[in-house]
Amino acid sequence: MIIELGHLAVITALVLAMIGIVVPVIGIKKQKAVWIEIGRQAVTLNFFLLTLGMAAMIYAYVTQDYSVKYVAATSNSKLPIFYKIAGLWGGHEGSLLLWAWILSAYCALAVWIHWKTQPVVIPYLIAMESLILSGFLLLILFLSNPFERLLSAPPDGRDLNPLLQDPAMVGHPPMLYMGYVGLSIPFCFAMAALFSGRLGEEWIKVTQRWTLLAWISLTTGILMGGYWAYYELGWGGYWGWDPVENAAFMPWLVATAFLHSVMVQETRKMFKVWNLFLIILAFSLSLIGTFLVRSGVLSSVHSFATDPGRGLFILSFLAFMLILSFGTLIFRSNKLKSNIEMDSMVSRESVFLFNNLFFLVAMITVFIGTLYPLLTEALKFKKVSVGPPYYNAVFMPIALGLIFLMGVGPYIPWRKASFESLKKQFLFPLIFAGAGMILFAIVGIRDLYALSGLTVVSFVLASIVLDFKRISSFLAKQRKITALQGFYTSFRQNPRRVAGIITHIGVLIMVVGIIFSTIYQTEKVVILKPGEEVVLKSYRIKLIRLYEVEGPNWQAQEGSFQVYQGDALITRLYPQKRLYPVSQTPTTETALHQIYMGHLFLTIPEVAPDGSWARVRALFNPLILWVWYGGGVMVFGGLLNIFRPKRKEVYAAHSTEASLPEGVPGIPQLSSKRMTQE
Amino acid sequence: MKNEKGMVRGWHILLLAGISGLLFLFYQGLWGNPSYIPPVLVGTPAPRFEAPDLYKGVPVTLDQFKGKVVVLNFWASWCQECKLEHESLLALNRQYGQNPGFVMLGVNYQDKESLAKEYLNTFGNNFQHIIDLNGRISIDYGVYGVPETFVIDQSGVIRHKEIGPIIGETYDRFTHRILEPLLINQPVSP
Repeated sequence: MIIELGHLAVITALVLAMIGIVVPVIGIKKQKAVWIEIGRQAVTLNFFLLTLGMAAMIYAYVTQDYSVKYVAATSNSKLPIFYKIAGLWGGHEGSLLLWAWILSAYCALAVWIHWKTQPVVIPYLIAMESLILSGFLLLILFLSNPFERLLSAPPDGRDLNPLLQDPAMVGHPPMLYMGYVGLSIPFCFAMAALFSGRLGEEWIKVTQRWTLLAWISLTTGILMGGYWAYYELGWGGYWGWDPVENAAFMPWLVATAFLHSVMVQETRKMFKVWNLFLIILAFSLSLIGTFLVRSGVLSSVHSFATDPGRGLFILSFLAFMLILSFGTLIFRSNKLKSNIEMDSMVSRESVFLFNNLFFLVAMITVFIGTLYPLLTEALKFKKVSVGPPYYNAVFMPIALGLIFLMGVGPYIPWRKASFESLKKQFLFPLIFAGAGMILFAIVGIRDLYALSGLTVVSFVLASIVLDFKRISSFLAKQRKITALQGFYTSFRQNPRRVAGIITHIGVLIMVVGIIFSTIYQTEKVVILKPGEEVVLKSYRIKLIRLYEVEGPNWQAQEGSFQVYQGDALITRLYPQKRLYPVSQTPTTETALHQIYMGHLFLTIPEVAPDGSWARVRALFNPLILWVWYGGGVMVFGGLLNIFRPKRKEVYAAHSTEASLPEGVPGIPQLSSKRMTQE
Repeated sequence: MKNEKGMVRGWHILLLAGISGLLFLFYQGLWGNPSYIPPVLVGTPAPRFEAPDLYKGVPVTLDQFKGKVVVLNFWASWCQECKLEHESLLALNRQYGQNPGFVMLGVNYQDKESLAKEYLNTFGNNFQHIIDLNGRISIDYGVYGVPETFVIDQSGVIRHKEIGPIIGETYDRFTHRILEPLLINQPVSP
């Protein structure tokens, strides 16, 4: 009964969503507020209806109602309750329902927040969001219905894919979808700006926090996915350039470019069309990502059912959205022209331009790599895929360039940088980086990527520290406070900037983690009998014995290992080779031991049936935790940016210039003095 | 001014063309089988390469084997399937290695030198190996994963590609229907 109720709720939601497309348009045409009010009610109601739909599905999982086809396919009575609920997004149908629910939640929230302040934009926002929601609800109800019943209910479910039975996997899809779907809000604001012709800076200011929220979710989702791959798939890496990973990475790249380029529009009124283009592209890439994952056009580790009908529907919807959004951009953006030309190539504007260019080139690289199999097939080439070597060769130099720009962009003045100011700002970081390079080379880091990566990281780090020091001491002197208080004051005065730099620091930490954990990874694969040992770096890993263990819904062969450094026992590790009997799926459970911020990583991919030997894979991943620590700092910087305190004084970049450290409010006497100098 | 307008229009057309192309591509893709891999590059000249020898470090090029039938095997120490076929590869070289018109070359893919050497020490070795340092060779040959084996004929044309381990029946087919006809300059019937 409950499930039928949920089904009905979702059907009603589709009807309301369709109404939500039409009524705001009528409201604008007739200039009658009541129509728009109907749209608002539809949006709010839709959120409750879809919540009901979700709740009905979760109810079916918890009460183990295996007459529901989707529940039977993704759950099992022996599954822990935590994973029973997560089973909802363990397959295609439920994932889509989650997508739609998050979309309705975002939309209701956006309408609730901006109803009073953005009366002109709201009708367009409602119409666009309803359009997207309708598309997904149509797909759910007609081609992938999770509420579908089986005529004869099986006694038990077929179990959730064991690989997905992992805490990181419970949070990964919702976070990722929050990112994908979150991009729809700034996208809809951009579309509303195009339709209504209000193409000023307003939409950008209003959507800033929305974009940040989407970016944070995407970042978290990708990081969780990476950790899951590292821990659960057991190959010791966290990123494999798989099409589905790329599908999440591409919108991230463009959203990051967008977050940067809006700053140029805010302060310099440039890049107007470009920003519209970027956000449309970012959301389109989320849709393309959904298409790639859900239609099965590309083979990947994330195998989902292939169904041309489904794919065809998503493709038609995708085509409609792409043509609508880019078409509107083309026809409506003619009015827009940046009035201000770039003053100099040596300026913050141009650094932002390069930043955007690099991000876009990075995206295109990933895009081509991902679609290469399709491309070669369509052009009747022989089918060739591009693997990690392609990405490593093409992507790494771009990434290096982007990191370098992180050390330049925030510190170079707007408009035109003089040679003096450049020297003042960058001489020390350059010397520092040069010294760092020599030091790294002496220490024995000879790998080209590692050496250049670490050099660039030290350059950026020096830039950041120098800048912080300068602002803090400037404020400390000005206000007669300590340097630490000065730093806090600088945050109070320009929290957005400081939060952004914290995110940059996170990137640096991550880059160091990536460099060490990939280039300086050590690996050994050996066959061990109980009592034998393998030496990895300065550690001796000794297999004590192999035995069987049993969990709630799995059986496993477990190895008991002792890890010695010299003669001292430092830890015991228990990796497993598991079998989930319901789905007959084997998995390898990794055992990890943290050494400083790196990992000793142990798996037993193969065990003799009689337990007489095991194939042991031992890895030492130095500094690998920095990848996630850095990611955490990035997310923290983003959160700080969302919840930043209001700026005390409004300070535009035009009025005060280079000689003043950024983040210091414009002081009248100072700036007027500069004016007279000019 | 006029020029600028033309440029903007050019961008518009480019954007629309790009989107249409993409959609067409996706549409085509819907009907394909994503896991189907047709024989890659067969019948085309083998991409040339120069790479260091795993043991001696001296550069090895494809050109130096011109006039011979080259069996190019991509492998890695972390690859389980490679271990399966390793015995067969050794047997293959024992069987044909004496033939002056035959040469076998291993290409170590996405690996670490020390691990690769350790692997060969453990499982045995009787032919030459090169290191695909930055993955260029793998990109050129369109290597999906390992093991993959290419057969290049006397005039430098790829005549066959084998995906997966060469064992059992595959081994017999590989030797009888591909290698042997090539070695006596007869047409190949895969």
